Amino acid sequence: MVVFDHFLLFITIYLLINMKKIGLVLILLLLNELIFAQISAIIPTSTSIANTSVADTKNWMAFDNPSMLGYVDNSEIGTQFENRYLISELSTKSLQVGIPTKLLNAGLSFSHFGYSLYHEMMVGLGFARNFSDKFAIGLQFNYYTVFFAASNSYRGAFLPQIGLSAKLSPNFSLGFHSFNPFQTNMKTEFATKRLPSVFSLGTEYFFSPELAWRTQIDKEVSSNYRFATGFEYQMLQQLSVKMGAYVSDYLVPCLGFGFNGGKVGVNLNCELHPLLGLNTLAAIKYRFISR
Amino acid sequence: MNRFLVYIIVLLLSSYSVSAQDATATTEQLIADIFEQYTAESEETIDYDSFFEDLMFCAQNPINLNQATREQLEKLPFLSDIQIENIISYVYKSGSMQTIYELQLVEGLDMTDIRRMLPFVNAGEAIDQSKKIYWQDLLKYGKNELFLRLDKGLETKEGYQFLPEEDPNSAETNSKNYLGNSLYHSLRYKFHFKDRIQFGFTAEKDAGEQIWGKTHKGYDFYSAHAQLNNFGKFKTIVLGDFRANFGQGLVLHPEFGMGKSSYVLNVTPHNSGLKKFSSTDESNFFRGGGATVRLGKFDLSAFYSNKMIDGDTLNGTFGSIIKTGYHRTLAEMSKKHTVNQQIVGGNLTFTFSNFQLGFTAVHTQLDNRLEPDKTVYNYFYFSGDKQTTAGIHYRMRLKKLNIFGETAMADNGSMATINGFSFSPLSQVSLVALHRYYSPEYDTFYASSFSETSRINNESGFYLGAEVRPFRKWKLAAYADSYRFAWPKYGIDAPSIGKDYLFQADFAPKRNIAMFWRFKFEEKQTNLSTTGAVMPVVVPLQKTSLRYQLNYSYGNFSFKNVLEGNLSRQGDASWTYGVIASQDVSYAFQTLPLKIDFRYQFFDAVDYENRFYSYEKDVLYAFSIPMYFGLGNRYYLNLKYELNRNLSLWFKIAQTVYADDRESLSSGNETIPGNRKTDMRLLLKWEF
Repeated sequence: MVVFDHFLLFITIYLLINMKKIGLVLILLLLNELIFAQISAIIPTSTSIANTSVADTKNWMAFDNPSMLGYVDNSEIGTQFENRYLISELSTKSLQVGIPTKLLNAGLSFSHFGYSLYHEMMVGLGFARNFSDKFAIGLQFNYYTVFFAASNSYRGAFLPQIGLSAKLSPNFSLGFHSFNPFQTNMKTEFATKRLPSVFSLGTEYFFSPELAWRTQIDKEVSSNYRFATGFEYQMLQQLSVKMGAYVSDYLVPCLGFGFNGGKVGVNLNCELHPLLGLNTLAAIKYRFISR
Repeated sequence: MNRFLVYIIVLLLSSYSVSAQDATATTEQLIADIFEQYTAESEETIDYDSFFEDLMFCAQNPINLNQATREQLEKLPFLSDIQIENIISYVYKSGSMQTIYELQLVEGLDMTDIRRMLPFVNAGEAIDQSKKIYWQDLLKYGKNELFLRLDKGLETKEGYQFLPEEDPNSAETNSKNYLGNSLYHSLRYKFHFKDRIQFGFTAEKDAGEQIWGKTHKGYDFYSAHAQLNNFGKFKTIVLGDFRANFGQGLVLHPEFGMGKSSYVLNVTPHNSGLKKFSSTDESNFFRGGGATVRLGKFDLSAFYSNKMIDGDTLNGTFGSIIKTGYHRTLAEMSKKHTVNQQIVGGNLTFTFSNFQLGFTAVHTQLDNRLEPDKTVYNYFYFSGDKQTTAGIHYRMRLKKLNIFGETAMADNGSMATINGFSFSPLSQVSLVALHRYYSPEYDTFYASSFSETSRINNESGFYLGAEVRPFRKWKLAAYADSYRFAWPKYGIDAPSIGKDYLFQADFAPKRNIAMFWRFKFEEKQTNLSTTGAVMPVVVPLQKTSLRYQLNYSYGNFSFKNVLEGNLSRQGDASWTYGVIASQDVSYAFQTLPLKIDFRYQFFDAVDYENRFYSYEKDVLYAFSIPMYFGLGNRYYLNLKYELNRNLSLWFKIAQTVYADDRESLSSGNETIPGNRKTDMRLLLKWEF
């Protein structure tokens, strides 16, 4: 299985060398060996600082904890671009639409990672319900495809997601999320490509309505543990400041800003990997708030 | 006045606290939760069947607190000796309890204990327990229950794969395979009339055992039982399959006893006396009959058992008693029921006010000689064809101090003794101390008492336990146990010492939220596995673990999170770690008689010493504590559906998937190709 990932990487490297992007090749090698972002690149990094989204009750993100969709009060549409280590070939783009209804909230998500010769895409349909604002349960059905340049073909698999968020007190929440809980992998004639299977648990605590503190533990089943924590402070009505860090193999500090213009929200986050450099993401979300 | 005020408060609170009716609705879950806590640290297979049945029987026939004896209250395993003594003492002093909520006035009982007790007790008026029974009452009020259970693994195991006859290896390979199909099946019928008359039967076929074929016809295991209580001078009469538990269990306690658990004060075995056996455990029971006669302040019990047991017999000897109950292959069939075992035993107990003294004796006779293949560690194990063991047990209460113990001797002159005391200097503080000494030569068939290992033999140790309720909503419990094996043990080729500590903090901030932190440290000696030395090399094995568990509920939903990590190392080797985390969701439908439990679990314990045992919900009468080591996930769905008032259905499907690149699971006939294991269970209950 790992061999298959290396094979894909080899093709990518070969093509990139031809494109004389040798520096990029080194980075790709490091990516594959060091962080689970490589296997999980199709899951967009959330705008919650240090990717502490599993218990973030204020923010539903595509392919993150689907139960957060249950807290969506107004229809919303959002898009995000993650420029991973400033290399456009490694960027992840995503689009999400959330629609609340009386019975269930529904969400449609799309994500794209890679470039023309190697890319992964995923589309998801999620449903969630908020139970008296005490807890929310969410379920999402995703279809994942990957393009193999060698055979010039796409391969696909269904990957479900389950999530739970519980508000144990008005200030404190717990979140649980599993992406691809049944460890579905993609089998070809020659090998098996391992798809991300992530188990996440996290907490959210509001010191005051303006200041939130989040913690999270992630385990992608074939990668190292990831411990993350972050603070988000609503400094002004229109501006929030975010700071946090996560540790997997390396300690990665993260900073971010959020701009809230009523119906429109913009988030800019960045993280500094000590070896791979800067990772940035920008997201914009429009909420159909009726006044 | 104080009592009157409490009545008022209690009555006001009773709408807030769990009502007896609510509690009854969740009795099954409550029993499972108690058992989980009881066995959380256990690595042994424990007979949940009997545990569940005893408590379920208490729920159907609640103990009247105003008439309760110590023996009856001991049936509630979550109560400590101190709590039992305090309840009896309270009823004695106050005359009688008007309501079960008066339990809040009993020292040492908190709301958690009381909530647990509610389904199993009442505070009714005293009734004549030996009232004459009429046939029409028996037919009208007697309860019948029929259970049908089916289990099936979805993957085909190696033992069910036969080579075609043309294959030259077919004869040899196929002869080692399982004779029957892969279905587990059991059928049981039970009848009871109040707590006076009980009878029933059980039939079981394990997966792989043949139900109808050349080798075997019918179920592999049959069991029948009858028990009568309070008939004239007879306190109990048992016929068919039964168990006998007396004293601290040094002579007779075939049922599992109390060991080290987070119930730190519960160190003595419960469930004394003769009682029917209706479980599917195929070895730990007696077959014959017995009775207990009440003679004033004396209780006299006597029993006789005659049954066939499994052993690998050769020329009138056998090496060990096989207790698995599996008869799936020709080799296993050849060891089935090869040895006849006769047992005769009895007990005389004198009870006077705060003092109890008893004498227990048992004699066993085998028709083949038990001759274990002797090596160093089992040098003193029993060998022979007959054994007699006898012991004296006592218990007394001196003010707040409870003193208890038992001393036993086998006919080879070896001795075992266990003695302890418990007391509660303040209502918030309870303490227990226990000393044990089991000689290396003391090795009997039915002993089960407080010990580090399952065998009551070759051990001495001292245990201290404390339970403190320092603030409202908090409970702290801790134990420390230091022990010594004077002679080598299995896996330890030299005399050795060990110790373990446990500390648990329970916090219940709201009625619907409860959590605990449990820290455990253990150090014992083990053989160094990498050495090839002639002389034994024994090094310490250290294990430490921290578990956080959170339970909360909202309406018909209930949730549970567990996060646990452990560290282990042998000798000077580096520490290895294990992690397990899970999310449980349960939902009871309002409009349908349906209840659903779902769990998703992740485990990462690459080294065997970092393995985890984690309880999971199951169909009625089943209890799973699967072991996890390796890297992977497990998830299950458990359903309970009440088809009508008489018919209920349980269904469970569970799957474990490993992510550590293994290509097969288990070994031998149990080998499964691939990295997934899926099990299904179905249980049907018919009440009439």
